[in-house]
Amino acid sequence: MDKYKVLIGLEMHCEISKTNTKVFSSAENSYKEIPNTNVRPVDMAFPGTLPVVNKEAIRKSLMASIILGCEQPEYMYFERKNYYYPDLPKGFQITQETKPAPVGIYGELEFECGKENKKVRINNLHLEEDAASSDHYASYSTIDYNRAGVPLLELVTEPDLHNADEAVAFLETMRSIYQYADISEADSKKGQIRCDVNVSIMDSDLDEKDSSNWGTKIEIKNVNSFGGVRDAINYEIERQIAKKEDGTYDDMEQQTRRWDEESGKTIYMRSKVDAIDYKYFVEPNIPKFKIAKEWIEEIKKDIPKLARERKDIYKNEYGLSDYDATILVKEKDISDYFDQTIEENIDPKIASNWISSIILGHLNKNYLSVQDIFVTPKMLAQLIELVEGKKISSKQGKEVLYKALMEEKEPTKIVEEEDVRQIGDEDSIKQVVLEVLKEQPQAIVQYQSGRTNIVDFLVGQVMKKTRGKANPAMTRSMMIEEIEKR
Amino acid sequence: MKSKFTKEVVDDLADKLLIGLTEEENKMVLDEFDIIDQNIDMINQIPNINEVEPMTHCLDDFEYELREDVIEESISIDELLQNCDVYTDREIEVPTVVD
Amino acid sequence: MAYMEKSIEEIHEALKNKEVTSKELIEESIQKSKEVQKKYNAFVSILEDVEEAEVTDHLLSAIPYGIKDNYSTKGILSTGSSNTLKDYIPFFTATAIENLNKKGAVAVNKTVMDEFGMGGTGTTGHTGIVKNPWDPSRMCAGSSAGSACAVATGVYPYATGSDTGDSIRKPAAYCGIVGYKPTYGMISRYGLFPFASSLDHCGVLTRSVKDAAIVVDAMKGIDKNDMTTWDSKDIHLYDSITGNVQGKKVCYIKELCDIKQYPNASEELKEHLKNFHQQLDLCKTIGIEVEEISIDSKLLNAIASTYVVISCAEATSNMSNLTGIIFGPRGEGDNYIDMMKDYRTKGFSPLIKRRFVIGSYVLQAQNKDRYFHNAQRVRRLLVDTWKELYKTYDAIILPVGSGPAKYLDGSLDMLNEDTAALEEHMQVGNFGGFPSITIPDGFINGLPVALNITGNCYDDENILNIAYALESNMNYKGQIAKEVNHG
Repeated sequence: MDKYKVLIGLEMHCEISKTNTKVFSSAENSYKEIPNTNVRPVDMAFPGTLPVVNKEAIRKSLMASIILGCEQPEYMYFERKNYYYPDLPKGFQITQETKPAPVGIYGELEFECGKENKKVRINNLHLEEDAASSDHYASYSTIDYNRAGVPLLELVTEPDLHNADEAVAFLETMRSIYQYADISEADSKKGQIRCDVNVSIMDSDLDEKDSSNWGTKIEIKNVNSFGGVRDAINYEIERQIAKKEDGTYDDMEQQTRRWDEESGKTIYMRSKVDAIDYKYFVEPNIPKFKIAKEWIEEIKKDIPKLARERKDIYKNEYGLSDYDATILVKEKDISDYFDQTIEENIDPKIASNWISSIILGHLNKNYLSVQDIFVTPKMLAQLIELVEGKKISSKQGKEVLYKALMEEKEPTKIVEEEDVRQIGDEDSIKQVVLEVLKEQPQAIVQYQSGRTNIVDFLVGQVMKKTRGKANPAMTRSMMIEEIEKR
Repeated sequence: MKSKFTKEVVDDLADKLLIGLTEEENKMVLDEFDIIDQNIDMINQIPNINEVEPMTHCLDDFEYELREDVIEESISIDELLQNCDVYTDREIEVPTVVD
Repeated sequence: MAYMEKSIEEIHEALKNKEVTSKELIEESIQKSKEVQKKYNAFVSILEDVEEAEVTDHLLSAIPYGIKDNYSTKGILSTGSSNTLKDYIPFFTATAIENLNKKGAVAVNKTVMDEFGMGGTGTTGHTGIVKNPWDPSRMCAGSSAGSACAVATGVYPYATGSDTGDSIRKPAAYCGIVGYKPTYGMISRYGLFPFASSLDHCGVLTRSVKDAAIVVDAMKGIDKNDMTTWDSKDIHLYDSITGNVQGKKVCYIKELCDIKQYPNASEELKEHLKNFHQQLDLCKTIGIEVEEISIDSKLLNAIASTYVVISCAEATSNMSNLTGIIFGPRGEGDNYIDMMKDYRTKGFSPLIKRRFVIGSYVLQAQNKDRYFHNAQRVRRLLVDTWKELYKTYDAIILPVGSGPAKYLDGSLDMLNEDTAALEEHMQVGNFGGFPSITIPDGFINGLPVALNITGNCYDDENILNIAYALESNMNYKGQIAKEVNHG
């Protein structure tokens, strides 16, 4: 492996799922089970229909462009990419090319891979429309146009990544950015993220900065999960190294392959020389549009705090450990949940403990997302307050929370209905303590003879009588006080 | 560098456009194209032609508003499929699409 | 005189005075449609069961009109005169038509055109050729051939057209009527079957300038479904027609209008240009200043190729939605490629196929700069040249074509080496989106010829007013075609 250096570039497609409407059509932008329910005439290319650009899709794209440190164009253009395919109703896709400039060019993103900081250069970011989706059967295929026209951001990196871990870490960072910036749910299970990966290897003693030293670029199309990206890269590296080793590497032509999930292999599709000529030209139905400087400034101000920023706050201002902070910011919804909980005046460290131990455990165990659960941050905060105010014990609190999550009941209601209360007033506890001492005269004798740990037994007896509701610390100190009196 | 416009090129282009051409039609394209090619040669003689910015739109002094992100009602499935010859339930059917 | 041969103002007056009812007008128009169909083949559909409309204060209310068959009309067959859409019944109506219908206008037929507007002869529609009502052995020109034929024969006072090169203005000229395409984006193209989107304009064919103003006033308006439309609510074409042209300045291009430029000129061309110069003299007598200007022939001779390259390239792409999958008769084939190919090969006429191939060639990566981008560059040079002239002149006035309508049997709708800039100069109106109107300006051997007035963008009121003044001082307003016999 050290003999060779690996260069990996990514093309990441991510649907913008957080607009109300599609990018060039006013049909609803949402995932629908029933086919052909989100369709306006332009989505099926009925003759005479025209694209009309969605302002919010442009705004979100520009925001992504700014976050990635790209340059934004002075004028926005769109281009037609012409090809025939049954899922492409117009016979062309409206997209952007590098000239005229797309929504973003030449950016750079820093991301964490393991404990290390890495950088990747962004070649360009462009906005385009998604195609329809098809289902395939033995003798025919069917087409659903709900997805046709959904806005899609395509990000193209330079080949700055060196192994599968880096590639996946970069993709995870991007997913996090899209989620935090409210651009997309970025859910690969919903098919919102799709990747093309290009991989080449070179002798490691050569200079990577000189592109003439690079190996033959192999593009792998349609890898639709991060796991797939990892596997496809690792497979392809091995395949290419084997070619180097057996001396056939130089015969390999630049080519496009596809990732076959089932066999875990990349399969040859076509050679570079057979590349399709898409006959790009500027879409004449969308007038060029000036991107005002003021608008860019406004969008900059609207960028929400992203994962890295939140993590810094969690660590530096709230004093959470790196480990806890990392867990909390991994998904935006969790981080939001945490933020909303501490907004209810809950100590961040305490909130973090509750969320990462119980809530996340519950989500993972049941394959849920935080929006699926009944217990809101406010409910959680109320429960934490009960525990912190010593109204109930922390053990009780945990049990109540589990119950609330399982039975979808408000924690405070559970506490009330089931009379889960810690007995905290001195008089009530004292009464039980005296009762116990009366019943256990020999224990007093043992204590006086030096077996002070008998107190544990006595406190246990109090707990038994109060069905666990007595405040343990109060009980203990009161018990000792009473024995000492005798 | 201009590429040669031959009968084979014409057939290949037509094939990629998913249209079939007869021999006669092929020849007509070649004849017509000859004239265009001569005219383009003329265009290339216009001084500094490469410095002119290509005009991609009809009106390019044009300010317009982007569309607000407001949903419009979807078209009913009956209307969407009323001109389609082959469909099943709510979906258009095509011969199996294999990559 | 039949009502349908009158002007819109006259018909409106008659409706208001209850001399005639909407129902009677429709009957007259349908009856006339059938006659014209038999003689000249102008219609794809005649709408037999049209409902009458209420007479309101709007000039167009209750008056019949025709729609070029590339406008999408809800529930009404809309073919674009192509076999690819021979059974296509849209579920929505084009904005421009919707705007007319809202004013109570009554559509009675859909007119034949060159397939998808891609032709200048009126001979490539899937229902057959349209004959010229002045002389059936000649063409109407195209692509709005059926609309021109129907208006010229008095089927109704107006029909909609579309104009990508000169598809309204040429057939209007050959049929002795008025053809007007306003500034690009004044009328929405939503629902107009596209040919070349950056050149396509909606417009109208009428028998007078005032009628054209009335109709476009009704068709125009900003449309949320067409991003290239603009707000024209402050433009009132009909109201701004005064006939006062004192102090207006127009120019004509020496290289196109001087008979010395054409050493092998036909008798028809000589007469046509002579007639044109007489009308220039008329301009002067009514107070318009006329000047001759000169433009580099190299640029003028590039017009036709510039047009072919840009329009074919855009058309290839625009018509890629025609695959027979969502609409159109489904093609045969075991796989989707064969299926689409069968549909497209059977559906498109040879002319269109040829243009697709050219369009595709000029867009190929290795050819794009030499052909497509250079054509777009020349487009800008031409538009800039015209705009420069508009700093001095209100309009450019030029003869339409090289004479009257051409014979059908000699017509090959191809670029040929004789194609002169004179035939194609109106395409510059599409390059720049300029308002452009053609009005009849005389007869040669009993056949109408015309002149064209083209002005700067957004200056439609000015152009129509100049056209109106000229029309008022000539004798060709409101004319109905009469077949001439050449012995």
